[in-house]
Order: sequence, then C-alpha cells, then structure tokens
Amino acid sequence: MGFAENIRETLKIKIQKNLNRDYIEKILGIVGSWPVLPVYGMTFASKSDKYLNIATIKNIKKAYCQKYPVAYGSLFLPYELLHSLDLVPFLPEVMAGFTAGIGIADKTLKEASARWYTPDLCTFHRSASGAVELNLFPLPQFLICSSLACDAAQKTFYIDAKKYNIEDNFYLIDVPYNKTADSIKYLASQLEDISTNISKKMGKQVDMDKFKNTIRLSNEFRYWALKVNDIRKELLIYPKNFNGLSFILPFHGLAGTKDAVVVYKNIYFELKDFLEKQKGSSGNKKSGSNIKIKQDIGKTKRILWLHLKPYYKNNIFEILENNNCRVVFEEISQVYWPELDGEKPFESLALKMLSHPLNGSVENRMAAILEMVRSYRIDGVILFAHWGCRHSNGSARIIKDTLRNNNVSTLILDGDCLDKNNSSEGQILTRIQGFMEIINSEQS
Amino acid sequence: MTEPENRLRNISNHFSNSFKTTKDERLRVGWLCTYTPEEIILSAGFTPIRILGEDRVDKAEGYFPTNFCPYLKSSWESILNDISKLSAIVFANSCDGMRRLYDICKNYKPQTPSFMLDVPRINTDASLKHFSNNLFELAGFLGELQKSKIEFDFLKKSIEFVNKKRTLLKKLNHYYSQFNCLVDNSDYFDILKLSMISEPEIFVQDLHTYLEKIAEESATLEIVGDSENDGFPPRIMIIGNFINESKLWKSFKELNCKIGATDLCNSSRYYEGLVEDMEDMENASKNSTIESLLGAIAARYLNKPQCMRMANLGIKLKEVKENIINNNIKGVIFFSMKFCDNTLLFYPLLRQHLSETGVQSLFLEIEHNNFSEGQIKTRIQAFLEIL
Ligand code: SF4
Ligand code: SF4
Repeated sequence: MGFAENIRETLKIKIQKNLNRDYIEKILGIVGSWPVLPVYGMTFASKSDKYLNIATIKNIKKAYCQKYPVAYGSLFLPYELLHSLDLVPFLPEVMAGFTAGIGIADKTLKEASARWYTPDLCTFHRSASGAVELNLFPLPQFLICSSLACDAAQKTFYIDAKKYNIEDNFYLIDVPYNKTADSIKYLASQLEDISTNISKKMGKQVDMDKFKNTIRLSNEFRYWALKVNDIRKELLIYPKNFNGLSFILPFHGLAGTKDAVVVYKNIYFELKDFLEKQKGSSGNKKSGSNIKIKQDIGKTKRILWLHLKPYYKNNIFEILENNNCRVVFEEISQVYWPELDGEKPFESLALKMLSHPLNGSVENRMAAILEMVRSYRIDGVILFAHWGCRHSNGSARIIKDTLRNNNVSTLILDGDCLDKNNSSEGQILTRIQGFMEIINSEQS
Repeated sequence: MTEPENRLRNISNHFSNSFKTTKDERLRVGWLCTYTPEEIILSAGFTPIRILGEDRVDKAEGYFPTNFCPYLKSSWESILNDISKLSAIVFANSCDGMRRLYDICKNYKPQTPSFMLDVPRINTDASLKHFSNNLFELAGFLGELQKSKIEFDFLKKSIEFVNKKRTLLKKLNHYYSQFNCLVDNSDYFDILKLSMISEPEIFVQDLHTYLEKIAEESATLEIVGDSENDGFPPRIMIIGNFINESKLWKSFKELNCKIGATDLCNSSRYYEGLVEDMEDMENASKNSTIESLLGAIAARYLNKPQCMRMANLGIKLKEVKENIINNNIKGVIFFSMKFCDNTLLFYPLLRQHLSETGVQSLFLEIEHNNFSEGQIKTRIQAFLEIL
C-alpha cells in the first residue's frame, strides 16, 4: 500500500471507529481545509481523480459545516435549481455509495433493517436511511426529490422529512411519463413553484440572474462533458483508477457549478493526452510511451456498462482488463439533454429531466443504449443488475433481446452495489469469463 | 337454517348472474390499477375488467427478475394466456413494476393495444389539469378502438353509473364492518372481486338486491353492531396493496378475528369517493364539454383514499388515523405483496406513527397466490393474543 492509500485507509478506519456526524464534520474540516486539500489532492494517481476528489470533499464539507442551508436531493434532480437557490445539495443515494466505499454499509444497513426496511429494498436507499437514522448525515433544511427514475427516493425522503420534523419542506417533483408540450409546461410550473416557495421560506425572492449564471455554468460543464465523451469513442487506455462510474456527484449534483466545469475540463485534457499517447503507441509499442498498456489495443473488446457498479472494494474492472476488455462508456455518463436556455430556466430544466432516458418507456432507454452501442462501437454490454432495483432490472429482458437482435451480446450481472454480502465474487468472475468467451467466439 | 348467516351465506346464489360474465356481449378492456377510471372505459362501450393475476406464473417468469412484484408477474401470465380475451389494456404509471409490465406487454404482445395512463403523484391544480389532459388522451385511445368518439351523454351516464356502484359497495362495507354475522370477510372480498370483473350493470343489479335482503336481516338484529363494538374480539384494520387471497380471509374467520376497516387497493381505495360536481353537470347547458367531465373524474381519483404511491405520505397517515378512530381499531395488520417498494417503504413510517399513538401493528409480507397459510395464521394468532 502506497503513502496515499495509507492516508485514505487511516481516515476510513477513524470514521468507522467514531461513527457520528460531528466526527465526520471534524474530519472533513481538516481534510477540506487549505492547504491540506490541495496537498491531499496531489496524492491521487491522476488528474481526473484529483479534481474529482477535491470537488467532492469541498462540497460534502460545505454540507456538513452547518453554515449553509442544506437540501437533500435525489439523484436525477436538475441540480442547477438548487445551486440557483443557494442551497447546498446533499445526495443521500450517492452518499450511500460512500458508506460502502468507507466500509460502514454493514452498520447502516443493519440500522435500516432494525427500522423495518426489508432486505428486498434497494440498498442505496436502505443504507442512506440507516445513515439518517444513525445521525450520520448533515441536517437538511429542505428535501427535494423526483419520481425519476424509481419509486424509492420519494418514500425515503418523506420519512427523512418526518424524522427531521420538516414535512412542509419536502418536495416531490412529479415527472410526467411522456415528453410533450403539455408535460414540459406541467413540469416547468412545478420547478417554478418550488423555487418561489423555497425562496419565500428563506426570506428572499427568486434571483433570476443567479439562475442565468447557473445555467451558463451548466452549459459550460455540458460542453466539456461532451468533449470528454467524444474522446472516449477512441480511447482504450486510461489513467490509473479511472472509472466513469465514479463521477456521479459532479455529473449530477454539481451541474451548474464552477467545480463541475473544472472537473470535466481537467478530465478532458488528461484523456486527450492519453489519446495522443495511445495513438503514438499503437503503431510502435516501444515508442517511449510511459503508459503501461495492459491491453493489446487491436484486440481489446469494447464494453458498455449499464446501471451502476459496486462501490465497495472489488476487482470486477480488473478482471475485465485482464480479460482484454475495457469499459469504454457507461450509460450514466451520457449527456442526454440539450443545451439549456438561460432565458427560460424552468422550461429548460424541465426538458432536461424529460430527456432522461430512464424516464417513461423502456423505448427511451433502449434508443439511448443503441446510440451508445453505435457511437462507441461496442462489442458487448454489461448490465449490472443491482439487487432490488425494479426499474432497471425489470427492463433486462427487453434490453437483452433488443441487443441480440442488433447482434450485440449482453451480460446480466447480478450483484449489489453496496452490500458485498449480497454479491458473489466467484460467481461474478465465472460469468464475466463466460461472457468474454462468447464475445471472442462471435468475433472470430 | 334459521340463522341469518346461513340463509345469506352462499354468495354465488345471490350473484349467480354476475358470475355468468360470459353473457357480456361487449368487448373487454383490462385494467390493473385503481387510478384507472372505469367510467371512461364504459363510456367507450367496453366492459372494464380488472386483471387479477390469478394465473400461476410459468411463462411469465422468464420476462422479469425473481424479485419482482408477483401480482404483476401473474398478471402477465394471464395476459399471455389471453383468458379474458381483452381487446385492449389500460396500464397506469403507478409504480416501477407497472411501467415495466407495460413495456413487456408492448414488446411481446403488440397485437393487444395498450395504453399508459400517466397518473400524477401530487395533488395540485397543475397536476389535476395534467391528469385531465391524460384522461382526454385515454378517451381518444378508447374511442379510436371503437372507431368513434366518446359522447358527452355516454360519459355522464357512465359517471353516474359507477358512482352508484361505489355507493352500493360502500353500503356493503357498512354491513360488513357492523354486522359481520351477515357479511363476513369472504363474502365481502368475494363481492368486491366480482365488482371488478363482472358485467357492471348485472353486478349492480345483483348487489342492489343482495343489500336489500341484508338490510331486512340487519333490522332484526338490533344492537348487533354495538355488541360487536364492546372491545372483544378486538377490531383489526388491514392495510396493504392488492391482497386478493380467499384463503387469507377464511383464516381470519377461523381465528375469530374481527376486521373493522380495510385499506387495500381491492377494497376502500377502489370504491371510496364519488365523482362529484354532478349537480353542476345536471345544470350544464349544451356547451357542456367532455373536458369538464374529465376534470371531475380526475378530481375524484386524485382525492380518493391514497395509494402508497402518492407523494404526501402524511395524508395517508392521516387517513389511517381517522379510520382507526372511527372504527375503534385496536391493532393494524399490514400486508405487503413481496417486492412492492411503494408499500414496503411506507411501513417503517406507519409503524413508527402507530407506535407513537399506542396502536400495535403486525407486518406480513406475502407472495401473491402462493403463501403459507399455517405460518401466517400462527403470526396473526400471536398478534391477536398481545392485543
Ligand atoms: S439503484 Fe434503482 S432502485 Fe436503487 S436508487 Fe437507483 S434507480 Fe432506485
Ligand atoms: S403491488 Fe406494488 S409493485 Fe405491485 S403493482 Fe401494486 S404498487 Fe406496483
């Protein structure tokens, strides 16, 4: 274990041993302070990882420091709204991923079970609810969720609101099933009402200039994210530890902030470098490239990853690489929305939500998947079937059949993103290896 | 044979016409969720038939993950088996499972036209308008199947008719909760089941006649309601999703368990609340529009007793609380179909709320069409003992 990993392991153990909100706040206060944060950032192996971690720590610290109004938000909210209202977002589902990452999910899940959340429910929500019950998350002033993409958030957020005794500050954004002129209007009116209502509660008026600025930053972030995604159409060698599935917080929660722009701009320049090196090294393997190319680029199988990944320590991606496979894109990284219009913030954000491929019929998701398969020249698709995710796993049959009709093989990989006891590593390995054999035989 | 319950016991005698659903000449349209307005289906000239999912899952298994709503799985089996010979199916955007069932149906049974009704989860002026627009789309879909348009008069009549059915079912509930010796658990749920799957006009006629007889009998049973309210056996409230298990209702009877109130999607959530503003409609001039009727329908559905899918669970808690007080309830049995997130995620909140108010609750998860009677009975018995 290197020096940097040692620091991180020590921090994890400290949190595990002192499991309470104040201690987490204290640790974040130290790690997130200047100059500790930039120095800590330097311990990461790549620029992408460095900026991701700096932005993450900075924003979580802000949520814990008790100086700003915090709003819990569900994953697919238009976070531009929260930033425009000067709310510090805190994403319980994403933070549930952290509970697995820092090894406390056993405890949060156990707490949830004791509170009658049955094991059949999605662990993202169970773990987050357990963390709320254990008083590990910051105190919110508002809770805002949407019905996109699943049923779970609106329930757990309400329960949280009740626990914090702020039911009046619970908002559900009801996302219509279809994208029509009428539904854009309906959704935009909700976003506007919520903004007015929250502003009133905060004793101010909706600041449209702030909205405009947030939308401008969101478009800037979108610009760099598109450029990153473009590069990935060619890229097969990546910085150490790079995983597109780790960028959920900046991609969603920080949309509309400078931090998201900085993160994606830096990923772009780093990946661009890698692409140049890849091009240089593919003709001549001894071309002086300092990148350790694990794969034989010509033979690398290009994988599209659907849904999320396990957030506890695991070696799935290593197994893939060792089998000459590279996840070249993830469903979650797709820029699915059109450029936003600062003059019409509510309509624009409504359109952003309604453009999400996970909203409405599976046809929307399927169209997006087929487009990714085409643009990323995908050899095989892996759907990580996270236990308890009715909305995603309920589409598995259609995804598999449609891809088969398009001559693309699919692996439905059963597991759990948070609960390692609900995933069998051995089985995952066997299934991946079987899948690789199928892809290789198809190609030959 | 002089006991009233023996004379009225056999439901099939009273509802023999309703049982002969094959007599219905009209085409049938299937529905699954109680947010689907039967009045619109009727006004388009179809018989609305609820898909109960009573088929044992076999072929359907391969279409869904193992941990998926068993009611929807067996509904898919019924759709695949085509037992009800449905001309179309109306789905509702009620939950993740239902959205996926709709996808599956559209993909693998395209020959059966299907419609997804988007039902809001919030109750505001804007959501009401949105829902009315969606109902307009539904009316268009059904009209197109019949190659005609839904007429104002037909829709108005259908509204009145379904209101009448609801009023009668509410009356049935009154006898059920007050005179259990006349209408027992099995009768109540069997009749409710019939109300959702038989030809509506015949069913309403049967129910009307049946209730007249029950009224006569109850008149002779003076103060029965009061004597049943004396605290023993303790009155139980049942809360859950779609619990359509005749074995279960029999078990309750065997355990001498008195159900004082039910909140299921095949009981009160189906029939409570009328489409109102009918008076305005009576006075309406020729200018009356389909839209105004659809608006009144939308309001009824968004204001009826809430399903756990709705956003404001505080309203649901309030409804439960009122039911508990009004019906002198001593304990709540919460049934959830396995893998139903909306229901499963309501229980932690409900349990806490009930314990704060001193009402005990029992949580039971059951597999649709396939639950262990003995085990459930033991748990209910143990629960009744602690009350
Ligand atoms: S994994 Fe699925 S069920 Fe869980 S929070 Fe995400 S979308 Fe919802
Ligand atoms: S029981 Fe639950 S999961 Fe099943 S259809 Fe009803 S709401 Fe959906």
